[in-house]
Amino acid sequence: MKSFGWIFFVAAIGVLMGWVISQWMPAADRPVSLSDAPRGGDFTLDAPNGPFRLQAQRGKVVLLYFGYTFCPDVCPTNLALMTQALNALTGEELARVQGVFISVDPERDTLNRLTAYTNHFHSSLIGVTGDPDELARIAAQYGAAYRKVEGESQGGYLIDHSSNTYVIAPDGSLHLALPHASPAQDILDVTRRLLAQTQSDN
Amino acid sequence: MKPYFSRTTLFVLPLLLGSISTQSMAAADAADSVSVGDPYVRAVPPGQPNSAAFMKLHNNSTARHSIISADSSVAKLIELHTHVKEGGMMKMRQVKKIDIPSRGETVLQPGGLHVMLIGLKGGLKPGDSVSITLVFEDGSKKVIQAPVRKMKMTMDMKKRMH
Repeated sequence: MKSFGWIFFVAAIGVLMGWVISQWMPAADRPVSLSDAPRGGDFTLDAPNGPFRLQAQRGKVVLLYFGYTFCPDVCPTNLALMTQALNALTGEELARVQGVFISVDPERDTLNRLTAYTNHFHSSLIGVTGDPDELARIAAQYGAAYRKVEGESQGGYLIDHSSNTYVIAPDGSLHLALPHASPAQDILDVTRRLLAQTQSDN
Repeated sequence: MKPYFSRTTLFVLPLLLGSISTQSMAAADAADSVSVGDPYVRAVPPGQPNSAAFMKLHNNSTARHSIISADSSVAKLIELHTHVKEGGMMKMRQVKKIDIPSRGETVLQPGGLHVMLIGLKGGLKPGDSVSITLVFEDGSKKVIQAPVRKMKMTMDMKKRMH
């Protein structure tokens, strides 16, 4: 009986030490738990033809990109890649896919400007924007980051921004974030995979 | 009959030519030493205020050269820019100069260095050509003609097994 007590004592010490060490580890070194990952979620923003509600897109794969039209290179590159993927879809598939460009620069990006901009890429692409607080909330929801930078260019302020393409499944859940300049084939593959999944579910 | 060239001219002329050629070699300016390949400007939708020019810069000399500014009549303002990826964000930053190493190459391409055209005075349509003046560290200049190109909007059709 005495040895059993010892084993219990040692085990208890071990558990305690493990707990102490785990608390000591700086937060950054700890593996990110799933609850820390951005979850995405519904939002409503202004679009050229009235409010755009993500909720109304159920049944579609939504490709979401955060940017601004003054961006001369990074945004056009990603939107061109998204467009390449959209152009590779059949008409039937395309009817179940919605590309969305969220401008985080409502100060300069009017809805008219956004329309001219998205039409340059694909006629089905929609440009949306809205209240700065609402934009910040949606960006945080998706794990997108952006920051206004003054004084870098004489042409006006610039915006530093993350450059992921968020792929939203037909059930409205955030499926994955494709990194900056992901090849069109990657965008196409994940889109088709999600379309096929919902097809077989029905 | 009087010879067309005097004897002195005949004697001096080669020397003179020689000195000119050695002088021009010694004074080969940056603009002469740097060749520009495949320049293009990105087509932008109407009303879009900015665009960018990309190109390959090759330095044929043994000295390092730099582009310190650029100019073009199509935009109100031209700046040299680059992109840095930092903290998960793409950051566009102005650079003072773009170096081209001796006997080396510097590529201005999407996602990196570019000549930024700010405040476009008109639309840039595919097929247009934009004249850009590159200014080098020694003040020498090079004028290039960059065609306007629209980004590729369709994928290369590869044979894929399904």
